[in-house]
Parts: sequence; structure tokens; C-alpha cells
Amino acid sequence: MKRLQLHRWSSSVLSPRARTGSRVQQHLHSGVRHQSTASPLQSEASSQEEPFLEEAPVDEGLARHIRSIRFKRPEIQYPSPPVEAARSSAKLAALHARLYLPSRLPLETLARTLVDASADPNPHFNNESLVTLGHDLLTYYTSEHLLCTYPRLPLAVIFSSMYAYAGPKSLAAMAKEWGVEAATLPGGRLTQFRRIDPGAEVPGSAEKREPRQQMGRKIFYDNEYGDAPSGPVDRNAGVSAEQASSDFVRAVMGAIYLHAGRPAAKRFFEQHFLSRQLNISSLFSFSQPARDLNRLCARENFEQPVAKIISETGRRSRSPVFVIGIFSGQDKLGEGAGSSLFEGRERAAVAALKGWYLYSPLSVRVPSSMEEEGAAPWKPVHVDLGEVIV
Amino acid sequence: MPVQALRTVTAARNGVGAFILQCKRLDFHYCDWAGSSRGMNEFLRQNLPAFAREHPQIEIRVAPRPRKHPIIRGHFVNGKDKTICVRNLEPSDILKQTLLLKDASGEKLKRTKKPVTSTNDSVRGIWSPYHGDLRGV
Amino acid sequence: MATSMVPKRPFLSLPFLLPSWTDSLALGSRRNQSSYRRTKQRLRVKPDASFGPSRQGHDQIIFNPPSSAPSVYHTPSKFLPPGDARKTLRAENVARPDADNLPGVYKSTEKKYHLSTAQIEEIRQLRLSDPMTWSRHKLAKRFECSQMFIAMVCEASPEKKEIQKQVTQAIQSRWGPKRRMAREDRQLRRETWGRDA
Repeated sequence: MKRLQLHRWSSSVLSPRARTGSRVQQHLHSGVRHQSTASPLQSEASSQEEPFLEEAPVDEGLARHIRSIRFKRPEIQYPSPPVEAARSSAKLAALHARLYLPSRLPLETLARTLVDASADPNPHFNNESLVTLGHDLLTYYTSEHLLCTYPRLPLAVIFSSMYAYAGPKSLAAMAKEWGVEAATLPGGRLTQFRRIDPGAEVPGSAEKREPRQQMGRKIFYDNEYGDAPSGPVDRNAGVSAEQASSDFVRAVMGAIYLHAGRPAAKRFFEQHFLSRQLNISSLFSFSQPARDLNRLCARENFEQPVAKIISETGRRSRSPVFVIGIFSGQDKLGEGAGSSLFEGRERAAVAALKGWYLYSPLSVRVPSSMEEEGAAPWKPVHVDLGEVIV
Repeated sequence: MPVQALRTVTAARNGVGAFILQCKRLDFHYCDWAGSSRGMNEFLRQNLPAFAREHPQIEIRVAPRPRKHPIIRGHFVNGKDKTICVRNLEPSDILKQTLLLKDASGEKLKRTKKPVTSTNDSVRGIWSPYHGDLRGV
Repeated sequence: MATSMVPKRPFLSLPFLLPSWTDSLALGSRRNQSSYRRTKQRLRVKPDASFGPSRQGHDQIIFNPPSSAPSVYHTPSKFLPPGDARKTLRAENVARPDADNLPGVYKSTEKKYHLSTAQIEEIRQLRLSDPMTWSRHKLAKRFECSQMFIAMVCEASPEKKEIQKQVTQAIQSRWGPKRRMAREDRQLRRETWGRDA
């Protein structure tokens, strides 16, 4: 495959461009500079890489044509579109209106959220700093919602629901549902990223999970989804479409926080992320529920759970049904139906354990609600002993 | 481990929190010469600016399509598109067709057989013959 | 004629099939009992008393339990923490099943706690010295405890485990495709019990 040579590419990116920015833009850049101090600077050697590898045409004549176009048109001289181009993009304006983004969020920032670090390594023009901020906000809001709404959830289920609400797969699906598409032409592309070579190993996807890794270790060493943290990602190798679009969603969250403030970011989170549907009770997977329930009742000083037959039919037939209830003293903890007494008891124990873990207080408040104006005094949330340890 | 967790993703419920208009783009094609585009040309001049102002969520493209009937093509978030031919129609009728495309979800038209379709669990649960107050008739 | 029918069910359990009292009076104009309106009328059940107008004159809660298995999001009263308002609200409304009269799934055995430390040590000794003779079953028989208790107290030696593994493999190698598939399916079904309820 013929590689395209961009002669002045690295020097033009690393030196600040001459910009005729409006006041809003200047404000934006000064504001963003604080954010991007933390983002890693790309080395010079890495920035000489070719940004549009996958579109590199095989035809020599076509390559020459594209090269000539690139020198003519300023929009495709740089790895990402110039800031002025955002004002003239109909797609960007439509996306801004479709998401009901606050008017204080300028189109230029929205354009910047779409530029992945793999396309433009310059931290002044890519979305890396916004992604970092948006990711922290998303995980904070999600985790506080989960911990306050379901204070008894086991850690494994919290990790898995974090993944369901704010994981890369959900975010990529959201970007698709927002109507964001990956354009292929350099001038009109929407999510600007460099696609990873087909067949290459996607970083972070190969989950090296030890079978009996302890949950306590996960809190300290692993990331918010309970996965082992992958090392620094080499953006020059390209990213997958899923990662690029999930980073875009995070960057939008960060951009709203920067431009419109905390209440707008919280509202955006509630409307777009929290409104999605997740049945938490379907995330549990028990291996020995009856034993766990026994331990739970012993820990909480309840009477020992006893399985009793509530009703049954066809005991001597080919397909019997037993409805088994698990009782602790006079109180029924859970019930389940099965085609054998054992199955009914196991299902009843699972229902009882889910009843314990899925307890939700009546009026749930999250800590970030204290940031609102005139918030009522904080009352401590329900804190539980934790999951059953066998 | 006593309890393990399964991994899944959340399902979208458009309109529960925020509502994303499913119509992403509208293409208007006209012909300067042909008589069937007379209403379309008038619509583009008179009605389209107001429509575009009211619906900033939709990207609008106007392009000539010489010696062909005028059409409106809507592109939707789910990746599908729908086309309506508006030959010989008056501007008010073309506006109706445009609104129809704007309100469409992009899905194929389906016959709804049930009064309610929901992803939520029923409030009273799935009926079971072994529960509730059993009474003889 | 309704009276000449031969019903499959016991006749008295389906009262709408019986000729009504008014019909038997008017012998001359006897009509067919399979009339839709008549059947429907007899099937009409009186609404529950709790649905009627309140007799005491004050507000009341209509409690009509659904004919379905309870939801897992409905926390049992026993699992509610002490400060929760639902605990007191539910206390009088919920009709509890009489748990004492229900038959148990397993025979309830009183725990005896009769084994001393020396006896437990003896169990461990026996199992380690001659694992082929002193299986869990035999030890449980001798010390009058459950096999579960034996498993909690001691573990088989690695050699015994290896032998047992080979025996299991030898048995499984004789299985044909049908039995193997059936066993695997059974294992998969067993795993689904712990997932959904």
C-alpha cells in the first residue's frame, strides 16, 4: 500500500496555528489549556505517523490527486479540521440541536470532542482532556447513583452495573443512537480517529482474568469495571471504532461540564445515561444460593432458613411443579417454583438473596445533590455490612 | 465466590429522559425546468426556511435533480432512509409529506397487534396458576 | 338436551351445566342450556369484599394480591433495616401464610453437636490412614453425623482424589453421545437456577 507523505505535517501541528478566533474561541482555548496540562504530550517521532492510513489509495494517480488537493485546501492540511470549519458545518449544528446541548457550549468545542487523539496527537486540538474529565464525571455520577439506590449490592454486581451504564459498549451504542456516524472523507468526517489495523489485537479487549481473583484486590488495583487496568494505550496504532465513539460521548460530557457548569452536566447525565434501562436483578449469578442464605441469616441473627412446600402438583407425573418457600421463623424470605424439590429450593434461595441485595431506601439522595442551591441538610445514606462472605 | 455478576449493556429508551429526533437529514431534490416541480420550487422558496428554523435537529440539503420528478428523502438515525415522490403537489401537501418524514422513526411500518408494548415488567407480575387467591367457579 | 349429556367431569363441580330452577318449572318452553348469555351469567363471580364501598366510612386499602410469584424488588419485611417506614406500614396488611403447618422439603433433623474434639481427630486419622475403607459414607454411619459434616472436618488425601478422578473418567468414557449430551444439558440447566428467579 502506498503511503502518503505529509511534508510539513509534524511542524505545523506542533507549532501553534495562526488563528483568527473570536472571543469565544480565545476563551475556549484559555480554558482548555488548564485541562490539557495533564494530557500526555506526543513525541515528535510518533507525530510523523500517517493519520489516514486506511484511506490510502492504491492507485498512484489518485494519490497524486489527493496530495494536490491537500495542499490547496486548508481544511485538510491539518490532521483535524480547523476551528473555523465548525461554524459552517450543518451536521455539527444539527447534532448540537438534536442532543439539546446548552447554547453556552459552542460548536467549536463540539467539533473538538469528535477529534480522537489517534487522528490529531496535539492535545490542544484533540478531545483527550475532555475525555478524561467526562470519564471521571460519568463514573462518579453512576457510582454514587448505584451505591445510594442499592446500598447492599455486592461488589461484583456494582462493577457489572457500572459497565452496563458507563462502559464502552453502552457509550458506543449511545453515540450511534445520537446519529453520529464515522465519515470516511478527510474533510467531512465526523468522528475523527484512526482505525486500528484489521486483525490487530485491540488493547484492553484481551481480558486476562484470573479465575479466583479476590474482590478486595479489585477495589485497589482494577478500574471501575473490575477489569485489570491496561497500560498506556499507544494511540499511534489506531483505536477501534467502539473506543473512539465511547470517547466522543465522554468528551461531550466533559465539554458540557466545562461550558455550562455542574447542573447542566448532571441534567445531561440523568437524561441520557440514567434514563436507560437496566434490570439489575438479571446481573446476579449464584453458585450455591442456599449456603449463602444460611450464612446471611446467621450473620444477621435471623432464624435458620427452612425450605417448605407452599403448593405442588403432579408429584408422581412426568412434569411436576413444586412451589417452595424459604421461611425464617414465620417470615417468608423468598419463593421459587421448580420441577424438583431441589430446584425449587435453589430458586427460592436465589429470590431471597436477591431480595436482600436489591433493597432500596425510600427517598434516595445522592451526595452530589448537596451541590444544588438551597439543598436540604444531608442525612447519611444507608450503609450496609456488605455482601455475604462464605 | 458466593456471587458473580454477568455483563450486559443498558437498553435505550428514547423519550424517557431525552428525546432524540430520529430523522437526521432531509434531502430535497427539485428540477428547474419540469412542471412537476412547480410546487416543490415554490415550497423551497416559501416554506423551507421556516421549517428549517423550527427543526434545527435536522440537517437539510437541497440539490437539483434535472429532468426527474421532485423527491424528499429522509435519512434516519437507524441508518435507513425513506423517499417520497412529491410530483405535482402543492406546497401545503409537500409540507405534510415533510412532516411525515420528520415524525417517522425510520423503521419499517409494522402492524401493532397489542395495545401496549413495553420493556418494563408487568406491575402484577407474570400470571402463575400456583399463586394468588384460588377460588372455584 | 343438557340432562342427557355425559360430562367428563363430576357433574356437581360445574353448576352451570345443571338445569336451573326456573327452567325446570317451565316444562313447556325448555331451552338449550348452552346459550351463551346463561353460561356467562353463571360464571359471573361476585367481586371481592375489599372492592366494595367502605362500610366503616373511612379510607381503606384494597389489598388484592397478584396471582404471580413475588418480585425480587419487593424486599421481604424481615430484610428491611430497622429505620425503614415500610416495616411498620406492612405489619398489619400482609396476610402471612401459616409457616408452621406447611410441610418441609427435607426432614428436619435436630442438630446434636455430640462429637468431641478427640472424635473429630479420630475421623481425620481414619480418613487419612485408609481412605478406601473409610469413605465419607462409612464415617458418617460410624460417628452418627452427616456426610456434610465429614466433608467440613476433613479432606481426602490427594492420592484418593486422583483415584476417584480416574474412576469417574473411566465411567464417563463409556457414555455414548446421548447420555453425555443429556448430562451436559443437566449441568447447564442447573446453572440457570442461580441466574434468574
